[in-house]
Amino acid sequence: MNFQRTASRILSVNGVPIAIALVIVVIIFQIMSPVFLTPGSVRDYINNAIPILLLTVGVAIVIVAGGIDLSVGTVAGLSAGTTMWTLVNGAPTLVAVLTGVGTGLVFGLFNGLMITRFGINDFIVTLATLNIAGGLLIVLTEQVPLQGVTTPGFSDIVYGNVFGIPSAFWIAAIIFVLMQFFLVKTVFGRRIFAIGIAPSAANVAGVNVERVRLGTFVLSGVLAGAAGVLLASRLGSVQAFLGSGYEFIAIAGAVLGGVSLAGGRGSVWAAVAGGLMLATLQQGLRLNGVDPVYFSIVTGLCIVAGVVFDRRIQQLALSGIRKRRRTGSAPPPPDTSQEAHLLRTGKQD
Amino acid sequence: MSSNTAPVTAGRRSYRKARLALAATATAAGLLLSGCTTVNAPAGGTNAGSSGGGTDYLPDEAVRKIVNGREVKVGFAPPILSEFYTQVEKAAHNRMKEYEDRFGVKWTWERQGALNDAHSGTETLGIVQGYIARQFDAVFVCSAANASTMQTLYKQGSDQGIDFYQFNSTEELANPSQAEDPTGGLATVSNIGYDDRWQSGYLAGKYIAEQLKGQGSIIQIMGPSGSDWTKLRQQGFKKAIAEYPGMTIVGEADGGYVRDKGLTAAQDLLTKFPDVKAIYGENEDMALGASQAIDARGLKHWDGQSGIITIGADGLVSGMDSIKAGKLTATVDVNSAEMGTEMIDALFAHEFLNQEVNQFIRIPTGVVDKSNVDWHQGVLQNVLNGPGKY
Amino acid sequence: MSTTAATAPKKNSLVDRVGARLLVDPTLGVLALLILICLVSAFTLPVFLEPSNLYNLLNTSLVVMILAMGMTVVLISGGIDLSIGTTMALCAGVAATSMKFGLPLFAALIAALATGALVGIGNGLLITRLGLPDFIATLAMLGFASGILYIWTKGVPIIGYMVPEFYVIGGLTPLLASLTLPMIIALLVALVLGGVLGSTRLGTYFFAVGSSKTGAMQSGIRVDRIRTQAYIVSGLSAAVAGIIMAGRNTNVPADLGNGYEIQAIAAAVIGGAALSGGRGRILGAILGAITLAATVNLINLVGVPSSYQKIVIGAILILAVLANRISAIVSGIVRQRRALVLEGIPA
Repeated sequence: MNFQRTASRILSVNGVPIAIALVIVVIIFQIMSPVFLTPGSVRDYINNAIPILLLTVGVAIVIVAGGIDLSVGTVAGLSAGTTMWTLVNGAPTLVAVLTGVGTGLVFGLFNGLMITRFGINDFIVTLATLNIAGGLLIVLTEQVPLQGVTTPGFSDIVYGNVFGIPSAFWIAAIIFVLMQFFLVKTVFGRRIFAIGIAPSAANVAGVNVERVRLGTFVLSGVLAGAAGVLLASRLGSVQAFLGSGYEFIAIAGAVLGGVSLAGGRGSVWAAVAGGLMLATLQQGLRLNGVDPVYFSIVTGLCIVAGVVFDRRIQQLALSGIRKRRRTGSAPPPPDTSQEAHLLRTGKQD
Repeated sequence: MSSNTAPVTAGRRSYRKARLALAATATAAGLLLSGCTTVNAPAGGTNAGSSGGGTDYLPDEAVRKIVNGREVKVGFAPPILSEFYTQVEKAAHNRMKEYEDRFGVKWTWERQGALNDAHSGTETLGIVQGYIARQFDAVFVCSAANASTMQTLYKQGSDQGIDFYQFNSTEELANPSQAEDPTGGLATVSNIGYDDRWQSGYLAGKYIAEQLKGQGSIIQIMGPSGSDWTKLRQQGFKKAIAEYPGMTIVGEADGGYVRDKGLTAAQDLLTKFPDVKAIYGENEDMALGASQAIDARGLKHWDGQSGIITIGADGLVSGMDSIKAGKLTATVDVNSAEMGTEMIDALFAHEFLNQEVNQFIRIPTGVVDKSNVDWHQGVLQNVLNGPGKY
Repeated sequence: MSTTAATAPKKNSLVDRVGARLLVDPTLGVLALLILICLVSAFTLPVFLEPSNLYNLLNTSLVVMILAMGMTVVLISGGIDLSIGTTMALCAGVAATSMKFGLPLFAALIAALATGALVGIGNGLLITRLGLPDFIATLAMLGFASGILYIWTKGVPIIGYMVPEFYVIGGLTPLLASLTLPMIIALLVALVLGGVLGSTRLGTYFFAVGSSKTGAMQSGIRVDRIRTQAYIVSGLSAAVAGIIMAGRNTNVPADLGNGYEIQAIAAAVIGGAALSGGRGRILGAILGAITLAATVNLINLVGVPSSYQKIVIGAILILAVLANRISAIVSGIVRQRRALVLEGIPA
């Protein structure tokens, strides 16, 4: 009885079902292909995945607030480009990192201002900046060959080791913890959920909806900038078209993790678990020699199955909680506002 | 073989022989390698030993002993799936079949082509890392990723005993030199391809200029800017046109390497410059789009005297058909057939015979027009109908 | 919208009424932008206004136009269809392969249309039965459709199906004088979809569902069915576009539809469709598609270096939507004034 209650409560936490599925998939792939969990392979694929995971988290924050950001992919590419460009011009690593993150910040600010000040739809604004950032990267790569940088310390951002663990892992982990803390423990973070659930209600409650929305786009831009820095460090060179197409992987990953496109529901862990799931699937199929022409079908199936699975599990878990409430056993206090929202409406989207 | 194509064929074969002789690989295996070309019918049945010197020395047997039924795992990572890379792969498979039949090589071939990033190449990075993790023996890579990024990856793989061969790549952009370093600073066993500048772009420019006797204006439909292939072909094409003061490039537009964008771009430019004499499409799909634009405007295709010249580059079956039909004036055949064959030859020489292959293997390319299209098409058809299947 | 015109004082002249109608039209902004483009280019780039160029421009815009019309219906009903581009490619592939198998032309066309409808039903089922968000369901469908096409073609374009009729279908051979078949098809699609949206119950339902799902449900509309029908419309429009594309492109590569979904959405939104549902016009989609085609056309004619193309396209997108936004604000002011006039207060 007690176990059941605990189980349903754990399962109802955003991102837990997908995390369990992720563990199962990893075990299956490890059985199918023993090289899957060798240190080299894990290191490679996590390194490949981290920039996209940062984008996934950024997009997830925007989605939680009820918006969407299509520009993250090419903005990350352009940030990688500006990072490399400052390095090629002989700047030290710190300046380059700041330039990259700053590029993301500028684009995030631009997106946010266009959306909140001019009231233009976020899909179209970020589609426009997707093109603009992609175009600027092409122009940049045509002016300067973005490669051949030997600045000490720059490649260590991804390839260095701290306590035996690759530094990219640390950077990503710190960013994720900070973001989750920010989202759950700060007033601003809670407001993001509030405007995602019901912007007008939040407005009535005194939340400056526009400012919070602007904040989410800036955050997403900064994370895209950070992703760009990591991309540049990992690749050691930057190419036109870098990052294009990443936006859809990021959005799919966030949704797979249980972030609701209707807004108001999601967490950093959920987005990371969803993004890792997509990366793991790709790596696993690759290491089993599956022709990539099958990837899009398998990924599509997985997204469908994942989202359906996530919804069903959560519904089951919540109905379990509700039933016990009716029968009078100790009601577990709703721990987040999203859960209360779910209980009230009984559906998630 | 019909008499009128024979001299051309011989020319092609003698080039190979000369190159092989230069490379000083006149060993037993070298002899038999030069004995069969993609141009002729596969040499499957011929015995290189008896035709080679008239002695009873049997290199085939010796090679068979060296190979000893060994299995090689080969990865093939094209940047995109297309007609061109299918032709390259098929040519490679045909060659592999020959080696299997004659020397008992056992092949495992796996293709993992990128689907979504033909121009950024990051997907290829993941694919190559996968091959490294699974300890393949040799990997053929063609990637749009920056050369320096790929070299880091190749070094990492080479340290674990994996051999890398690049094909159809743009290593000429980095301009590595073998003057003092046999590897040219590259971590590959060999780079099999052609020079995009002088063996593709330049040829197309030269052909247009010669047909037009050095007079006239040209529009060009380019690949997406930012692509290395575009950059290099542009360089060659512009150099060729610059050699003729009477020729000018009046307009250019992005055709994104696809046909419908090529068609739109050509239509727009033809509106602005109605009396151009030639259209250069940087690949065959865009050139065919331009050809449709000429039809749609009711203009005349080049007939050897007048009309608009359209020239592309690739050497695809569909392009050959259009040349025969008079819809496409010419194309630069960058020789997918030879590329696939040479890839396997280089692999075999290095992997089994322990020979040193050159870092840069440049395959012959040439302009195809009505005068020689039958030969090129015949070669291609032979490749596509070949027995190799892995 | 029409109510504003109807309640306007009778003494207003026809010019005033037309003016009022135009001002409150959500597509006014993009129309103004198009006129501005024409005016500017009339002085700086006369070749743009040459009949042959406008004719090319129109022909080029038709595929995106048909997709955008289907997309508009989906957007009105509160959904989004990311699979429309790859569905177009899939249907083009079905039509081409059917021809290669020796099926008669009409059978090939029906096969393509059926494929489009099936994809639409699939999208509808994923969304209404499995409860997936529209964005994700159609993104997954994009994956399925493109995967099928890649596995089927192995990356080699489908060729050898071009009978003379296909040149007509693709608009490469004009039907009558300079009139091409795709033009007629686009016009028919526009009339049918415009008619459905404007004067049928189904059309009203599309708007109702898109404006408020719960509201529509409470008033007895079978929301799930209406949403599925919207996706069938977009699937069918993808099929029509695919058939034209097969003719225009003269081969069908697996990546034929890449990026078309974004173009279709952009055209629809430029034309005044709202991604939040309940708003959109067929005429807007048409103008949106022409705007996009005109942008690329101008880039080519002006000779903008191709590296700057994407930046220009991004800027035009923002401009177009800003123009709509401004027209909405202007029309709001005008409506307010009219209301004041009606109440007898001098403006």
